[in-house]
Parts: sequence; structure tokens; C-alpha cells
Amino acid sequence: MIRRLGMPGVLTGLAVVLVALVLVSLAWGELTLSPEQLWAGLRGTDELAHTVLWQLRLPRVLTGMLVGAALSAGGLIMQAYFRNSLASPDLLGVSSGAAAGAVTAIVWGWTLTSLWILPLTAVVGAVAATLAVLMLAQRGASTERLLLAGVALNALLGAITSYHLSHGVSLWERNAQLLFWLLGGLEDRSWLHVTAALPIVVAAVALWPLGRRMDLLSLGETEAQSLGVDVKRLRRIMLVLATVLAATATAVAGIVGFVGLVVPHALRLLVGPEHRRLVPLSLLGGAAFVLACDLVGKLAGGLRLGIVTALVGGPFFLWLLRRRV
Amino acid sequence: MNRDALKLEHVSVPGRLAASDLTLPTGALVGLVGPNGAGKSTLLLAAAGLLGAGSGRVSWGDENVSEIAIMERARRTAWVPQEARFEFGFSVRAVVQQGRYAQGDDEAGVDAMLARFDLTALAERPVNRLSGGERQRVLLARACVTGAKLQLWDEPLASLDPRHALEVLKLATEIKATGSTVVMSLHDLRLAHCLDLVVVMDRGRVVATGKPEAVLTADRLREVFGVTMRTGDGLILGLP
Repeated sequence: MIRRLGMPGVLTGLAVVLVALVLVSLAWGELTLSPEQLWAGLRGTDELAHTVLWQLRLPRVLTGMLVGAALSAGGLIMQAYFRNSLASPDLLGVSSGAAAGAVTAIVWGWTLTSLWILPLTAVVGAVAATLAVLMLAQRGASTERLLLAGVALNALLGAITSYHLSHGVSLWERNAQLLFWLLGGLEDRSWLHVTAALPIVVAAVALWPLGRRMDLLSLGETEAQSLGVDVKRLRRIMLVLATVLAATATAVAGIVGFVGLVVPHALRLLVGPEHRRLVPLSLLGGAAFVLACDLVGKLAGGLRLGIVTALVGGPFFLWLLRRRV
Repeated sequence: MNRDALKLEHVSVPGRLAASDLTLPTGALVGLVGPNGAGKSTLLLAAAGLLGAGSGRVSWGDENVSEIAIMERARRTAWVPQEARFEFGFSVRAVVQQGRYAQGDDEAGVDAMLARFDLTALAERPVNRLSGGERQRVLLARACVTGAKLQLWDEPLASLDPRHALEVLKLATEIKATGSTVVMSLHDLRLAHCLDLVVVMDRGRVVATGKPEAVLTADRLREVFGVTMRTGDGLILGLP
């Protein structure tokens, strides 16, 4: 029998956890704010708190939430698309593609011309990587084939990034900027990044009504088609959404691994595989997971977000692999 | 007037199906037989309109399938794959409910079909933890709950025990009685003998269509399957 919790309970629980994480993230840091200071800072009656909140912590928290929601939903989409619960943007190389695109833009100086070049090149890199994955592993491909395609792409794209790094070892400042992409993080995120992350909101809204069709697709393409789903169109929409989500998240925070794997998996264990539930929950859950990891990183004395999610997600991934054998 | 339920004209798929013609009447129980690789599954896919734009023409009634919208196709035809791989643990009930995607939900119909296929006790079980035969019953229940008038089943009896196989045949007969057409591929030629019509396929071609006794002759069985036939009473199973 399937042990499942009720949707309202999980939804409420997750919302409460998320609100708590937001409040702690806003209040706690080098300058810890009391609840009164937090309130005063938000309203603008306490100048110092106001600056800390509006210039530093709110953009960081919002960027983190959007990035988490995007990566988690991106993983959910890819898992339904490939009919494989081990698919996710980072494992398949889509995040690396975005990072390689962004890094190339920085090195070649394109980013100096416009603020939008960086997110744009990230999207181009992600699209290229997605197309490569599609060529290497068709839908319904075996887990090995899918993951090996990801390994190959990650290695190739990682080489591009490493090349740029090694090719200018003396340029410390630039290299620090490049390193940011390799190990994602939420440090120094500003309102500019929040704005750049807004496509995530659009993609999330577009994803909302697809739940039932994703259920059908995740049980087989031909079956879904025979039951009345326009599979070609659905697949195209899903691919565009997954790429936009992964690329935007990487463009504002660098490569943050394992979120798209851990969060949908954990939620499936809680509420079952129905996408009408998983879509809203994975958006909330991804946001909460990234905020929690960011807090753990701060607690550990400034560990980058990408390191924390890898430390949590790596063992989880290995456990999943073991369970499948 | 008795419109043809299904008509295939010169349908071909490179390497799998060679310019096949087939006309099946409404209200018939049709068996599709042939050795492995004869093209049975491909023919069923083509008949279901699931092969995309190929060469040849497939019609239901007198309408060209490629001109019917996907949603409408799902209301008129149900297709059951030979086997399904389930990655995610949807409950048996959820999978059967998917059969109503195009028609609109029908809880009572789903419950009735679960009972009909002996699945009520398994309704909340994850579908990726069922046995092969149980999975096959889930797929059949999902096809039947659509209420589609043209049912195309690819080896529905392959992994069923004798009782469930006979139950499925009985249900197919009931569906036929409502004016539907059921086409199923199968390997058991004795069971094929109980159907209204038999279509014999060999190496990508339809080689014969007609009443079982007229089509399943000793000569043809030797030619197509490479087996000899001997008639006489053997073990005959029936439902109590």
C-alpha cells in the first residue's frame, strides 16, 4: 500500500517551514535583528536594519527562493519528460551548459556591453546542452544511457569553463567571478538578480496547468497520445520550460546541484507521483530547500550554497542509485 | 447500414509493414495472429492512428484518421500496449482513471472496471510493484473505461492466467455486443478459434482474413507458423 500524506497537510506544513526560513534568513546574519528590529527595518523606521534588509538580505532571500523553485521544478519536468526519476538539469549537463555560456561571455568581455548579456548567454548555453542531451539519449532511454550522456556533457562543458579559468591564472578578480559559476551561491545578490530571475515566475505559472498531462506522459508517450494528449506539443512546452528554469537559475546563482533531484524525490515519497500535487509542492519545496541550505552554509561559516546542496544531494543520489539496483 | 469499423489501405512502415490492406466490420471480435515479427504490433499502432504520418490511409467509419483531432481519436479508440514500463508509482486507480482523460472523469465507471478486472483489492497499490499479469489487467481496464468503440489490444492475454484470460475474452464479447469492435493480437490459436474473425499476418503482410475455420487451415499453419495441426478434443477450459 502507498503511505501518503494529505495534500493540504503537506502544503500547509511546507508553507509554514518556508515562512519560518524566510524570517530566520532575514533576521540572522553578521548583524542579527530582533523581531522588533526586523519589523522596523521592513517598514523603514530603523535605518541600519532597513539598509541591511533591503540592500542585502531581501534580494538574497528572494533570489534563493526563485532559484530553488526553478531548479526543483526543472528537475520535476525533466523526470517526467525522460520518464526517469534520476533526470535533473545539473546531472544532465544543462546547468553546466548555462555556466559555460555565462563564463565565456565574461571572459570575452561581452558582459560589459549590457547587463542582459550574461543571462542571455546562460540560456544559449543551456539550450545547446539540452539539444545535445536529446541527441545522446532519446526519451525512454535507459538510466545508464541518460546518466552517461550527462557525465559526458558535464565533462565537456566543464572543460570549457576550466579552460577559461586556466587561461588567465593571474587575473584574480576575473577568476573569482568565474569561480562563482562553478560553485553557485547567493552572496552579493542584488535586486538586479531578482529581476533577472523573473522568467522563473513566468515559467512556473505556465507549468501550473500541465500536471495531469505530465502524469499521462510519465507513464508512456504512445499511451499518452492514445489517451488524448498532444504529446509533441506537450513535450515541446516542457522542454522550453525546463530549459528556461534551469538556465535562469544558473544565470543568477551559478551551478547549484542536486536540488532538482532531491526535492521532487522527497515530495514523491510524501504525496505520491501525481504532478498536479508535485508542481506546486516542488516550487515551494525547492524554495525552502535552498533557503535551508543557504542558512546551513552561513552557519558553517560561509560555505557556498553549491557546496551545501552537493553535500546533501550527493549522498542522497548514491542512496537512490543503490535502491534501484 | 453497417459502416466499417476500421479500414487500412496500403499502409506501410519501412521494414515492418508492407502495403497492407484490411477492412474490419463494426461489432466484431477479431484475432490478429502471426509469428513473432510478423508486424502485428505495428498494424495495431497504425490502426490506432499512433504512427504519425506514414504512407497509406487509415480510416475509422468513413473518416481519415489523420484528419481527426487527437482528443476525438482518444474518445473513439483505445489502444493497449503489449507491455508497459512504469517508472513512477502511480496507484492502480490513478492509472485506470487516466482512461477518462479525454472523456471526463467517471468515478463509478472506474470502480466498476476495477471490479471487473479483479483489481479492487489492488486499487491503491503502486503500479510499478505489480506482477506482469496484474499490470496487463490494469492496462486493459484503462482501455475499457474509455468506452471507445474501437478497442485495439496488443497481446492482452500474454501474461494472464487461464481464468483471467477467459474473463477478458468474455468481457470482449460483451463489449462487442454493444456494437464495438475489439481487435486483439494473440498467439494461442485455440483461443483465436473462438473469435468472429481472424487476420493472419506473416512477414509484414496480411495474408488472410476471414472466419477462423476458413483461415486457420492446416496448410496455412504449416506455411506461416511452420507447425502441423491435428483436430480433436484436447483440454478445453471454460468459466464455471
